[in-house]
Amino acid sequence: MRDTVLLLAMNGLIWGLIIALIALGLSVIFGLLDIINIAHGDFFMVGTVLAWFSLSVTGNFWIGFIVAPLIGFVIGAIIQRLVIQPIHGVAALSIVATFGLSLILQEIVRITFGATPRRMLAPIQGTIPLFGVDYEIYRLFAAVIAVVALAGFFLFLQHTKLGIWMRAVRHDRETAIAMGIPAQRVYVLTFGVGFALAAFGGAVAAPITTVDFRGGVDVLPFCFMAVIIGGLGNLPGTVAAAVLLSFLEGLIQSFADPTVARISSLVLMSAVLLLRPQGLFKGFTK
Amino acid sequence: MSEPVLRTENLTRRFGGLTAVDNLSISLAGGRVHAIIGPNGAGKTTFFNLVSGLLGPDSGRVFFRGRDITGCKPHEISRMGIKRTLQVKSVFPKLSVADNLWITRQARSRFLHPFRSAASDLQAKSDVERTLGQIGLTGLAGRPAGTLSYGDVAMLEIGMAVISEPSLLLLDEPTCGMSPAETSRAVAKIRDLARTIDIIIIEHDMDVVFGIANDITVLAQGAILASGTPAEIADDERVREAYLGRPEDEDFVEEAIHA
Amino acid sequence: MTRRTIEIGMAASFAAFLIAVPWLIPALTDNFWVSVITEILIWSLFAASANLLFGYVGLLSFGQALYFGFGMYGVALGIDHFGLSFWPAFGLGIVAAMAMALLSGVFAVRLSWHYFAIITVVFSLIFYFLAVSMKPLTGGDDGINFSPPPVFRFGGAVWSLTDPTFQYFFVLAAVTVCFFLMYRVINSPLGKGFLAIRDNDLRASLIGLNVYVLRLIAFVMAGFLAGVSGALFAFFGRYASATYMFYQVSGEAVVWTIVGGAGTMFGPLVGTTLFIVIREIVSSHWEHHSLIVGLMAILVVIFAPKGIVGLWNGWMTRLGERDAAASVPPRLTLRADP
Repeated sequence: MRDTVLLLAMNGLIWGLIIALIALGLSVIFGLLDIINIAHGDFFMVGTVLAWFSLSVTGNFWIGFIVAPLIGFVIGAIIQRLVIQPIHGVAALSIVATFGLSLILQEIVRITFGATPRRMLAPIQGTIPLFGVDYEIYRLFAAVIAVVALAGFFLFLQHTKLGIWMRAVRHDRETAIAMGIPAQRVYVLTFGVGFALAAFGGAVAAPITTVDFRGGVDVLPFCFMAVIIGGLGNLPGTVAAAVLLSFLEGLIQSFADPTVARISSLVLMSAVLLLRPQGLFKGFTK
Repeated sequence: MSEPVLRTENLTRRFGGLTAVDNLSISLAGGRVHAIIGPNGAGKTTFFNLVSGLLGPDSGRVFFRGRDITGCKPHEISRMGIKRTLQVKSVFPKLSVADNLWITRQARSRFLHPFRSAASDLQAKSDVERTLGQIGLTGLAGRPAGTLSYGDVAMLEIGMAVISEPSLLLLDEPTCGMSPAETSRAVAKIRDLARTIDIIIIEHDMDVVFGIANDITVLAQGAILASGTPAEIADDERVREAYLGRPEDEDFVEEAIHA
Repeated sequence: MTRRTIEIGMAASFAAFLIAVPWLIPALTDNFWVSVITEILIWSLFAASANLLFGYVGLLSFGQALYFGFGMYGVALGIDHFGLSFWPAFGLGIVAAMAMALLSGVFAVRLSWHYFAIITVVFSLIFYFLAVSMKPLTGGDDGINFSPPPVFRFGGAVWSLTDPTFQYFFVLAAVTVCFFLMYRVINSPLGKGFLAIRDNDLRASLIGLNVYVLRLIAFVMAGFLAGVSGALFAFFGRYASATYMFYQVSGEAVVWTIVGGAGTMFGPLVGTTLFIVIREIVSSHWEHHSLIVGLMAILVVIFAPKGIVGLWNGWMTRLGERDAAASVPPRLTLRADP
């Protein structure tokens, strides 16, 4: 019994690290562009599909780690330019637009990849004994990759030109423009970064979950939970919330239904929204 | 000695490290037009926000005709008879000019009927038409308020203030951004209203202030710097200093007083 | 041709069409389209609930499927579980939906609009998962089936929904009554209050409107509309399932409304008709009709953000201005746009 708890908690922790990447993408889009991105779960799903295709085309799993975020970035940038920008940030319209986007992405995947969910073989087979079961090595590896990617992203924000621009525009748009930062271009690139993060999360997660055109539907509410509970505009908070929520859900699953676990996270999220909408964690807020 | 129409006791409001309104105890008698002036950041609009209920004070109390209204919600304070305009002109942009006036008048009653046709209220309709005439916007009645010119929006705001039959009217920079012609029109209207309504007005335009105010209170850094009749204020050294720093040039000072 | 004549003409022919459907449609095409039109009427009422909140009060709710679900399950469980007859079951569905709207609205309506939109989804997801986990009661995603009891009994005559013509007229009557109620509310003092809050909630509170209470009232009214559509849906399909409480269903209502034209009476109807007709026509030839739906949503939002009816109103206004320039000065109008 104790082993099951630890096992599920561990799964939750690892999944939380991966989700943190995806939620970070959403937080960046929501925080900077003020868009409730209904298609964000589908960005993740597209990442899993890109990983699948790069594996079946090249026979090499690891290429997916480059292909998914790269293509994701390009698609994201194009979407921002073609769809989001013409709407001039009218929030309600962008919800409809991202809803339409979600449908389009799902259908395109359905057409190219098919409607049947498929499993992807992990590149690192094998298990090690942990908590009384044979625990997949790839899961541990995925956790490490996720941590490295998260660290890399925060370094990117601190030290690269684009990262600094993104932070400046989010902090104070008018001043940033006055200082010569090309805000429009930052928006395009930000959307691309958001998609890339989600897609990368998809590539990492692909062997752990199924590759399925409906794979984004479940991920989306979870990402929003992480962003809200972590605090809008609070990027480290989003990461912490994602890991914490997933971990807690894992724990709860050891003695109750996954559905019950999900309901408890949702109830927690409602409480946060009603009582402390700025999120549970202190940090850099908007 | 009659009850002052508005009185505050040690009213204080801070924003983070900044004290916007500092231990303000002010008493304004009825039947007069009060102007509140002061340099930017003096706390004038914050004062209005505290009185109208948009902000709660950190400490202190607000009394309206002897009644403690501290902490009441904005719509409750509005129902008691205090109406205000906002610094940035604010109406209902998608509603027509007539509808703006109509809903302002209707908001007086507790109960908004859910099924009766709005157009069937003939009393309201005639009040709206009369007010339109008073503010000179009859020709624009059907236009969405958002399409009006700045000066017309300001007049609409004054119209909305009138039709709500306020007991105390707080005007926040009503002539801001107006042309000279629009300003005189507005000033004439305000003088007219002052005959029956108690008015407190925040203004930067000194011509307007000295033209209509019976009393002036000067705020600086959230506290009262000086108060008195227009003549007294015009002569007050501290007022000149607050607006300019040290007066180095007589002409410069003269110009500022009459700016 | 003045604007008024055009609009009256259209309304009249539309009404005539709707009344003639059970005889006109089978004469022109497949019988099956009668039930499609019935479905369109039900879903447009659902879209109208999102429209009331978003178009007239400025509250974007992404969780109307919750109240739809309560209406639906109220009927299904009322009949299947409690053995109620038609009208009590109908009533149960509506009351359940309104009660849920009141309960969740008390909390939700306090929030500013981003968080409001999110919490409406969260509430609807909580109950979706509850419904899925209470499978023995609700049938989960598979749902439960039931046979609807007769609607009216007069002496020996029995009217039941098994007669497709009667069913169509029943749905038409219910939907018409609801739209009529909505019309009265929008043109009433309360409706003007809603519009004021939508345009400028700060100003609304300053003129004395209790923004919280008015939003709550609107939320419960929208819950009523969603509940009625859910109840009608249960009767129509003899079926209730948790899938209809999922957020994508709520999202569709919002999309149909905005594409049709938010803040207009007929917007939800036009939007719903468009999307369902496309779905029916395209899906018989090509299974990827969602692609078209998604594309349409995006194109409308970019090129016609006021929606189809919004575009129409724009043309009509220009037409009206042309007329006005030619004749009398503009009248003092106190009506909301239809």
